[in-house]
Amino acid sequence: MTKIHADIDALKGFHEAMVRFRHVQRSVAERGDDEIELTRAALAARASHWQARLEQSQAEFDACRAGPGADCSGYARAVEQAGEQLEHIRGWQQRVDEAAGEFRGSAGAFWDLLQNDLPRAESHLLALIADLEAARRAS
Amino acid sequence: MIHTRPDRDGQEQLGLLGAAWEEAVPYWQDEVARQFDTGHWTPLVQRSSTYLDALGALMDLLETADRDTDF
Repeated sequence: MTKIHADIDALKGFHEAMVRFRHVQRSVAERGDDEIELTRAALAARASHWQARLEQSQAEFDACRAGPGADCSGYARAVEQAGEQLEHIRGWQQRVDEAAGEFRGSAGAFWDLLQNDLPRAESHLLALIADLEAARRAS
Repeated sequence: MIHTRPDRDGQEQLGLLGAAWEEAVPYWQDEVARQFDTGHWTPLVQRSSTYLDALGALMDLLETADRDTDF
């Protein structure tokens, strides 16, 4: 880098960093959205699993109670446990939905930055660099 | 495969961009530079930080949700 072009080179380096930043942050934002959906899917699968366990436990409990004089306390505990697990997962589903909903505002503003403001800043910087280069050639 | 959190990658990139800005600033001290700073650079950093902080908090919550329901 010669001294006379050091300013232009520094601005070009900054411009390249902005372009890289925009590309990487798009991927970051997409991965963020993917993580939300992966977690939602995992929670839904777990809720489905425990819903099935609850229904099965309830059926076994009902069958036990239909019989004469059997100790059904084990089945009752299984029903209670499955119900608690299911409720716990549903609570998390609600918390994740609420947090993801609140996050949408920040995410939307960031997408707007990446799609509109950042390209404008890059263009502005390129124009400044072109002006500097033209002035340098003229002098 | 190394799995890194998106918010951490984003913060790293913001740091790299900040370093590139710091390298450019000594060569760029005129009024146009000040306008670029207030009109583009400062809002870019603020909005990126706001988003990445929110993303980090959300990733923390998602990790906790996963751990806490994995029984």
